[in-house]
Amino acid sequence: MAQTSLLRVFLFSLALGAQALTPSHYLSLSDVARLQTFLGQHFTDLESAYYSIVGLAKLGASVADQAEACQFLKAQLDPTSVDSLFYAAVASQALAGCEIPLSNETRDILLAAVSEDSTVAQIHHAVGALTSLGLPLASQEVVAALRARINKEENVVAVILALQTAARLSQQAELSGFVEEIEDLTARLDDLGGLYLQFEEGLEATADFVVAAYALSDHVDVEPPLKEEQVIQLVNSIFSKKSWDSMSEAFSVAGAALALASNRFHVPVVVRAEGPATVSHSQPTLQLLVTNVLSQPLESASVLVESASALATKSIILSQTPFTLRDGLFELNFMSSQPASGYYQFIVTVTGDSRLVANQVELKVKVSTEVAITNMDLSIVDKDQSIGTKTTRVEYPSKSKDSFTADSHQNFAMAFQLVDVNTGVELTPHQTFVRLLNQKTGQEVVFVAEPDSKNLYKFELDMAERKSEFDSMSGTYSLHLMVGDATLENPILWNVADVVLKFLDEEAPAVIQPKTLYIPKPEIQHLFREPEKKPPTVVSNAFTALILSPFLLLLILWIKLGANISNFSMSPSAVLFHIGHAAMLGLMYVYWTHLNMFQTLKYLAIIGSFTFLAGNRMLAQKAVKRIAAEQSSRLAKYRSLR
Amino acid sequence: MATLIAAVQTNQPDSILSRKQTKGMTQSGSKKMGKGVLLCLTLASLMHPAWANGKTLVLLDNVNIRDTHSIFFRSLADRGFDLSFKTADDPSLSLIKYGQFLYDHLIIFAPSVEDFGGNINVETITSFIDGGGNVLVAANSDIGDPLRELGSECGIEFDEEKTAVIDHHNFDVSDPGEHTLIVADPENLLKAPTIVGTPTNKPILFKGVGMVADPENPLVLDILTGSSTSYSFFPDRPISQYPHAVGKNTLLIAGLQARNNARVVFSGSMHFFSDAFFNSAVQKATPGSQRYEQTGNMELAEALSSWVFKEAGVLRVGAVTHRKVGETTPPTAYTIADLVEYSVVIEMLSEGRWVPFNGNDIQLEFVRIDPFVRTYLRKNGGKYSVQFTLPDVYGVFQFKVDYNRLGYTHLYSSTQVSVRPLEHTQYERFIPTAYPYYASVFSMMAGLFVFSIVFLHMKEKEKSD
Repeated sequence: MAQTSLLRVFLFSLALGAQALTPSHYLSLSDVARLQTFLGQHFTDLESAYYSIVGLAKLGASVADQAEACQFLKAQLDPTSVDSLFYAAVASQALAGCEIPLSNETRDILLAAVSEDSTVAQIHHAVGALTSLGLPLASQEVVAALRARINKEENVVAVILALQTAARLSQQAELSGFVEEIEDLTARLDDLGGLYLQFEEGLEATADFVVAAYALSDHVDVEPPLKEEQVIQLVNSIFSKKSWDSMSEAFSVAGAALALASNRFHVPVVVRAEGPATVSHSQPTLQLLVTNVLSQPLESASVLVESASALATKSIILSQTPFTLRDGLFELNFMSSQPASGYYQFIVTVTGDSRLVANQVELKVKVSTEVAITNMDLSIVDKDQSIGTKTTRVEYPSKSKDSFTADSHQNFAMAFQLVDVNTGVELTPHQTFVRLLNQKTGQEVVFVAEPDSKNLYKFELDMAERKSEFDSMSGTYSLHLMVGDATLENPILWNVADVVLKFLDEEAPAVIQPKTLYIPKPEIQHLFREPEKKPPTVVSNAFTALILSPFLLLLILWIKLGANISNFSMSPSAVLFHIGHAAMLGLMYVYWTHLNMFQTLKYLAIIGSFTFLAGNRMLAQKAVKRIAAEQSSRLAKYRSLR
Repeated sequence: MATLIAAVQTNQPDSILSRKQTKGMTQSGSKKMGKGVLLCLTLASLMHPAWANGKTLVLLDNVNIRDTHSIFFRSLADRGFDLSFKTADDPSLSLIKYGQFLYDHLIIFAPSVEDFGGNINVETITSFIDGGGNVLVAANSDIGDPLRELGSECGIEFDEEKTAVIDHHNFDVSDPGEHTLIVADPENLLKAPTIVGTPTNKPILFKGVGMVADPENPLVLDILTGSSTSYSFFPDRPISQYPHAVGKNTLLIAGLQARNNARVVFSGSMHFFSDAFFNSAVQKATPGSQRYEQTGNMELAEALSSWVFKEAGVLRVGAVTHRKVGETTPPTAYTIADLVEYSVVIEMLSEGRWVPFNGNDIQLEFVRIDPFVRTYLRKNGGKYSVQFTLPDVYGVFQFKVDYNRLGYTHLYSSTQVSVRPLEHTQYERFIPTAYPYYASVFSMMAGLFVFSIVFLHMKEKEKSD
């Protein structure tokens, strides 16, 4: 619940942001709790211990174990360091019964730190430590030292620290100069869109400024020179950040919250509705929470409705009516003035304390009601009026048992009325949509039903004209009626009937589905070319035999004729020539199966030249032999002739 | 949108690019500078995404948004983004200087801006996107013209100023009264874990302006849609015309990954990113609905920001190898119907480091104008590989991995190879049908051989016989 309230605050602020300037950010109860948890985290050094202990004290809480915290302070204290003394001294004040041991040297160190040679931060720490420890100090000296330093350092943070220091000094000292510094600082705040006011140094400086300004103003009892709207802008900028980065930031926010909740001059008021700002017949009272920025109720205040007017008509229906206080909530029975449903503008004033800032607030209050659907008629109308229409009445919330079928020559029509359950008045809610949901594809087509002058809603679906919105998809559609309005407590989603719509089957449009971009594409297997069908091998084998037969025939005839190689002499050239010849023929085969032409030509050149030489030699030998044989035979002939 | 589509770029795989750069630099660099410096430079350029998430310009309506949205900004800063916050009307704003982009990412949390300051305008933002910059835009019901124009450039139409998404059936219990604080069911989220994170059942709070996607732009992603009962209109005016967005067409959060991998996310709600919405409890106002202690906004916002700023869903191609099965190096040209093995390393950016990507739907295409083969790559150790037979068509082909999945950058790698027909020795040598021809040739050769022997060496009988 805590978190919801945080959100509600946020949204509430959004709703109010545009209107008259009211605090749109503050610490809700859950924010306070989170701030406490953040500050209550385990501390590791003296500085974080100071932020934790003092910050929690400002929120009205305390650390878990005070004695242990006190021990921690004493253990970590460095009696020679001004900063360390300041943290320990101020933190010990916030703890019950925690005394920081003191020595004369300590005191001297602190007093010595108050001089023009120290920085403002050191002076602030020294003065803080001295006052917390209850030691006397010369306020006028401090004033002089601070003035001198401010003139030197001249930055926002230093001036803020000086203001905080001044708030610790005696009221007799001359502090009026510091009050003027508040005004100077105010002039240096940055305005963001008229809603926020902050130092560019950051949230911490802004929050510290608020702490310092109110501490000093309370101290000298002079109203700080801040305008009301500036206070509100400061509130907005300090409390808009809901998650804090550091302990010191959280500490400053806690300090600013305390300063804004309990100073003598300005207390910003936060007015918001408890729960949603809604009244109805079942919940007739409007409950308001009136708190300060820490969400602590301002019970002493009295709350009055200046005026309440309807937003639509601007007519005032309530004025000058007080809220009654009950259990910390301010209540008003708004329904007793019989408002119609809708939004109402409330101007609420919070009085009872002169310190209150932003005490006139505009609130938007909603009066809600319940709706009922009556006279729901469904019909199929023929366009050329040749067939009488048949009307079916359906009662909410049941679904029509009849199924309706409409084709492109017909219109589907629907008529109904919306009435207020409580008053019986006809209503025209914001959302009266008719939805047709394709039961197969899940595609939905929504139409707006509009009321006629008598607030009778009529919806007619012209099948021929509307086919593009349905992508000409015929099929069964669920007909839903959606009725909703911000002022209706019971939004309606009613499945009235099933309707079969039949469109002309023209081209079924292929809509490019954008999602197809991101899905795998279909796999593709390459279709290899089919090898051509071959004739049967029997034929080729037969022809092979046929083709080989002449060679066989040659051999046979040669044998018959008495072919021989008796002239073959085993001379190397003859053998080599025939081997070479065979190799050339073999090369032709290898060329066919393995080699390319260039390789073949290379081998052929080798084998060829070699064969050529061998052949040449062989033929030469043969020729010699033959010539010798011829000569001898001629000689023999010649001899025989003689 | 035209500009975006025009900026079609093929994503050169990172590794290839960097390898080229390295090579180029080594050649020119070895002359000019020491190798050590070079190595450092190369390493730095390679490691760049690993240690810095890049400079980010954050444009705000006012400085206070830094405080109200501190959790979101802190989570970005923790993840290593270098954020520079500026108000949107700051006169010193500039995205591009001397033709260079000053930032890697842009966040616009300035819904109501009417005119950006400095030299930023819709055109520069569009060219920033065209140049690969990523943009996160959050709007609300005060949406100004520049954001609407930027939306239309990206294929997203915002509804008019002062309108809001309304849902009378799904609004939160803490709704201030207009039913505009919408509880969006996580079922309405896009089913893409890289974009929206691991699915949770936590509903999402939304309050802001509605959008519709341009139906002609296939790149727009409906990251979060309204429910069927939602619509977008002026909450304070009666409905006099058809609402801009109705039902599931109402986009609450839309995204876009341009063809150059630049990413853009539009949220109709700036409160969606706020600390208040991150920490809020959520419960629908309908009686009996379940209450959740925390909204799903924080998880969704973190997932969205890490997607849009390229921390998630970024892929790159590593080494690509291809070879004939049984060989170790690729040939100068493949022959038709070779059995080929192709493998590719695909890596994904995860927490600043490149890790092997796990995907089971990566496809390889073998393309000559049209794909001839499209097959799935199987993960095999650190790489994806597949063996397939080349088609029996010759020409210049490409091995192409074109991986475009929802939420991931477009991964594209193409390697060109040539495929030539069979050499004459590679045909079938002994076709049974052609035996008569072979036989005739061989018998002729044998005949020639035998005849030459017989012719040369026959001893004729004496004629006198």
